[in-house]
Order: sequence, then structure tokens, then C-alpha cells
Amino acid sequence: MLLHALLGGVIYGCYFTLIGLGLNLVFGVMRIVNLAHGDVLMLGAFAAFFLFHLAGLSPFIAAPLVMVGFFLLGLPFYYLVVPRLALAKDAEMLSLILFFGVQQIIEALAAIAFGSSERSIPGRVLGIGPFHFLGQNLSRAWVIGAAIAAGAVIALYLYLYHTRSGLLTRAVMASREEALASGIAIHRISARAFAIGLALAGLAGVFAPFMLGSVTPAMGVSVNLSAFAVIIVGSLGNPLGTVAGGLIYGIGLLLMQTYFSAWADLLPNLLLIGVLLVRPTGLLGRRVRLA
Amino acid sequence: MTAWRKWGRGLAVFAVLVASGLAGGARAENAPAEIKIGHLHAGSGPYASISMPVYDSLKLWVEQQNANGGAFVKAYGKKIPLKLISYDDQSNPGTAATLTNQLITQDKVDLLVCDSGSVLTAVSVPIAREHKMFLFDPTGTGAAFFSKDNPYIALLADPVSTVWPRYLWEFLKSDAAKLGIKRVALLYATNDFTGTQANSIRAALKEPGSPVEIVFDQGVPTSTSNYSVLIDNIAATNPDMVLELGYVGNDIAFLRNLQESGQKFKGVFTLYPGIETNVLRKNVGAQGLAGVFSYVTALGLTLKPEVGMTVEELRAAFEKAYGEGGVEFGWNAIAGHVTGLVIGETLAHADSLSQPDLHRAVFGLSGKLKTLVGTFELRDDGAQIGELTPIGQFDATGKLGVVYPSDLATAKPVLGAP
Repeated sequence: MLLHALLGGVIYGCYFTLIGLGLNLVFGVMRIVNLAHGDVLMLGAFAAFFLFHLAGLSPFIAAPLVMVGFFLLGLPFYYLVVPRLALAKDAEMLSLILFFGVQQIIEALAAIAFGSSERSIPGRVLGIGPFHFLGQNLSRAWVIGAAIAAGAVIALYLYLYHTRSGLLTRAVMASREEALASGIAIHRISARAFAIGLALAGLAGVFAPFMLGSVTPAMGVSVNLSAFAVIIVGSLGNPLGTVAGGLIYGIGLLLMQTYFSAWADLLPNLLLIGVLLVRPTGLLGRRVRLA
Repeated sequence: MTAWRKWGRGLAVFAVLVASGLAGGARAENAPAEIKIGHLHAGSGPYASISMPVYDSLKLWVEQQNANGGAFVKAYGKKIPLKLISYDDQSNPGTAATLTNQLITQDKVDLLVCDSGSVLTAVSVPIAREHKMFLFDPTGTGAAFFSKDNPYIALLADPVSTVWPRYLWEFLKSDAAKLGIKRVALLYATNDFTGTQANSIRAALKEPGSPVEIVFDQGVPTSTSNYSVLIDNIAATNPDMVLELGYVGNDIAFLRNLQESGQKFKGVFTLYPGIETNVLRKNVGAQGLAGVFSYVTALGLTLKPEVGMTVEELRAAFEKAYGEGGVEFGWNAIAGHVTGLVIGETLAHADSLSQPDLHRAVFGLSGKLKTLVGTFELRDDGAQIGELTPIGQFDATGKLGVVYPSDLATAKPVLGAP
């Protein structure tokens, strides 16, 4: 039981890394809290659902389509909202309120458009039967979700550390004012990061029907709670710290399910409280957040 | 003398008729322009999928009544249009509490109907009681809501949670035990609906002489969306049969994870496949439901109602009204219709719209009202006990046959099928 919980936790945690990745990138670059992140993920899930049921497209084909679509939607949305938000005295707090409103609108519109019933994509689409590893039967969807998450982390790493645009993104993350003073087009860089954040949320959404059983318009709130726990545990504002947060969250959740199942939904709150009390910067954080 | 007596009797009868006619006229003149029905629904959030079908179906019933001039209200001796005031509590118990208060104190509704499911009903029960307002409870089945000292509640469309699993544990201790089910795993979501059922099953299976023992007994949060590790943990205890009790999302996740895990059990019981069959079939597939045991509701039984529509008539009306709006027709849509029928019959029988008279009228229907879900029968604490919840099993084509009790059975239980 322990080995299965640990192995499953690592693999399941990889998916939570993917959930938190985009949220952390957006916060790291823009210092805005995208409370609609979980609802963007939900939209990705419904996009995959309809692409499968209406067009017969497998999630492997839906994933790049959703990513490109969400990236392209993210760019104008950024210019519509974020530059004005950045002018505010307390942009972080204002972003909380604004994106809370956006989250409510998305959920309400989705409920009207898609209804409130649970939706999913047949599990056989990702292959039949469990995946055998170290004598354990692991969910094939988990393994594929983990592989997709690992690919996304590597791609983001390559973007941030091996491209000029990534270098500029890191400069904005380090200090928005200094980046602006250095002549970096911070809005262009930020818009790109924002759109990448949405694309990553969309990608996580494509695999949500397999990882979370089913999807509904209401799923965004609980996804957000998990995503915030993951990025705060890892390190707020450090996208790659999300990996540590995701793994800890995944292992913690499955250990809780194994030994204290009735209390498993307390885990995100316990992790948040624990990390904020003991190490407010997160496990891989260097700077103390004052906001 | 005889002639005088006859005249006297005739005059007396005439006087009574005139008096009652005048009173009836006066009652009709005092009749309100509309009867206000206060209701809550969850338009979003985790309970939306069980709440919206109830709301849509109740709304449909109100529209049908109003299309015929309204519901007959005995207290005023005429038909009066109905006005459904339904607020969206977004699946939030705190919001549901506030809105229940608003319906009573601000909107001053004539009849109060709470939201669906035990989680959202729980907050309305004490508020209704505090305001001495009779609560029409469509599907909040938690046993704790019903007590003899609270006359302000009646469960309308679902059996109380302690009644739901009666046939299940009887089946386990009799037919299933004979087929070789000796060890049972019990996994349930920790809410009033499924928690109460788990308690009832546990108590029955732990009775002295029970041929079945519980080898795994764990609760999980209702928000659980991943059962893979739990299934592995259950398999480690080597049960013959797994009983998983949850809401729709729980059951979908459990059955999908079970398929993916490769684990096999002789028998699997889950709650919602027989309740919201369409939703489960769409999410799990006929293959995922094959061999699964579940409750059989009116969807799988052919009951002839004396009041209201049959299941197929209601299904046709519901789908015509709402089409492919994303709200599936299932047990909860039926529950919404039954709620409407009970309200209609209450108005037709209550001497006035005072809360004690509404109480008397609702309890007066007990044992007499036969709807598409069976006989409406209330225990003296307001708990619904009249409906049947037989045990069924899905075959390979996705059809649900009744396997217990024997007098209702249409199929034989088959173990090892999933």
C-alpha cells in the first residue's frame, strides 16, 4: 500500500505540477493572481470533450489545438486587462478581485452553455489496461498525464533558459522596473508569458477528464485550491519550483487517502498553512514576499 | 306539523347553502393573485448536477399548472396561478442559509422548498423550524433531519437514507451470501446522504450471525475525484464485493478508476448508476457499468401513477422543454416532478395556507398518493418511507434488471461480471 501510494503520488503529482505551472508563470512575470486559472483549465477540458465527441479528435491531437487556441486568446486578453491593472497601486490585490469576477463569469457562461452534468472522455482513448511498474498497477491515464506534464516542464525550462525571449522573461520576473529601464518591451514579454500560462492551463484541462474522473463547469474552484497549494509549497513566482510543489502535493494526497482518507481534502489547506508558517518563500523560494 | 317541519328543514338547508355560498364567494374574493413557492437550486458548483434536474422539472410542473389556470387551492375554492421564486445558492451552504431566510422573511413565500441533496438541505432545516415554516424537502434524505419534535419538514421524493439500503443489506445477507459473498469493502463519501446509508449497512452487517463481514470501511470527502489508490488499498484486503456510496462525480471517478486499475472483484455496488443512469452511461460507458449492482428507481420500474405523468411522459415533456441543455433526465428530474405533485395535492387539500394546515394536508396524503415513484408515505417524523429501492444489476448491454427482492426480480444476480 505504501509503495503504491508513493509511486502513484509521484505520478499523480506530475499532473498537479502541470496544473500549477501556468499559474506560477503568470504570477512570476506579472505579479498578478489569476483566480480564473482553474476555469481556463475547465474550458480546456470542455474543448477536448467537444473535439472528441463532435470531431472524433483524440486528446493527443486536441492538446496542441487547445494550446494554440488558448495562446492566441491569451494575447488580446492580456492587452485588454493587464496593462491597466499594472497601473494600479496594489495590482496584486486588484488582480485578485478582477480575476475572481472573470472566474465567476466563465463558470456562469459555461454552466449556461454546457449544462451542469458531468462530462468525460472514454478512458480507452488513452489505451486499455493499467501500466505495470515495480510490481504495481498504475493508471495509464496517470502515466500519460505525468509524461505530458514532464514534457511541458522541460519545454518551459528550454524556453526560459535557452531562448532570448525566455531570458527577457526571466529579466521581467527578476524586476519589472529594471527590465523596463533596460528597454525590454515588458508588455510584449508579459503577454507572451500570460498566453503561455493559459495554454498550459488548457493543456492540463485536456487531460482533466482522465485525471479527475469527469469535468463540470464548477470544477475551477477546487482546481484553483490545489494549484495554489502546489505553487505556494514549491515557490510562488518560480515556475520550476512548481515541480517540487506538485510532487509533494501528489504524494501527500495519496498518503492521506491511504491512511486518513476522510481527511484527504484538508491536505491543500494544511500544506498552505504549514508552508506559510515555516517557510513563506516556499521550498525553493529565495525572496520573501511582502505582499 | 309535518308540513311545517318540512318547510323548516327546507329553510335550514337553504340557509346553510346560502351561507356556504357566501363564504365561498368571500374566500374567492380574498384569494391572493398568486401562490408563491420559494425554492433554492444550485446553478453551479458540485451539487448543480443533482439540483438542476429537480429545479427544471419543478419549473416545468409550475408552467404546466399555470397553463391550465393555476393550481386548485381548496382554501380559496378556486385555481390560483403559481409563482416559483427560485434562487441560485451556487452549491454553497452558507448562501443557501441566507437565501432560505430571504425567502421566508423578505419574499414571504407561501410554501418553502429547499434545495436538493442532504448537504444543501441541512442548512434549511433549522431555519424553517425556527420560523415555524413547513419545509417541502425534495431529496434531502439525511436521517438527522427528521425527528418527532420537528413538525416542520416532510421528505417528498426520496426515501430517507436509512431506508435506501434496506434491500441492499438484505440482499448481501441472503442471496449474495449464498452466491459466495462473505467479505465486503465499504467505501463512502462522508456526507449525510451516503454517510447515513453506510451507517445503516454497517449496523446490519455487524449484527450477530451475519454471514458477511466488513473487511474495509473508510469514508472519503465528497470532493474525491480519484479512487485509484483507494481501489488498490481495497484490493489488499481481498473483499468479495465492494460497496461504493457517493454522489454522481464520485461514482463516475470510482468506476472509471476501477476499469483502469485492472482490479477485479466478484461484485461491485455503486449508488448512482441506477439513479442518474444517463449521466453514468455517458461517462463510464455500457462496458464500465456491465455487472455493476445499483439501486433501481422509478427509471427501471414500471409503476402506474394515479396522479401526474408516467416516467416516459415526463421524460418526453422534460426533453421537449429543455432539449440538449446539458441537464440530463434522470431520477432527480423525477424527484422535481414528484415535488410539484405533492405541492399541488397539498394545495388541493389544505384548509388554509397556514403552516399547521399545510402540515396536516401533506401528512394527510401519506399512503394515499400514488405517483410515478410509488406510494407517498410519511413516517410521523416526516421521513419518506413509501418508495421502493430494489437492487438491480446492469447487463452487458447496459440494461438494469432487478435482482432483489425476489417478488420484483426480473433477472438473476451474476457475480464476477465487472
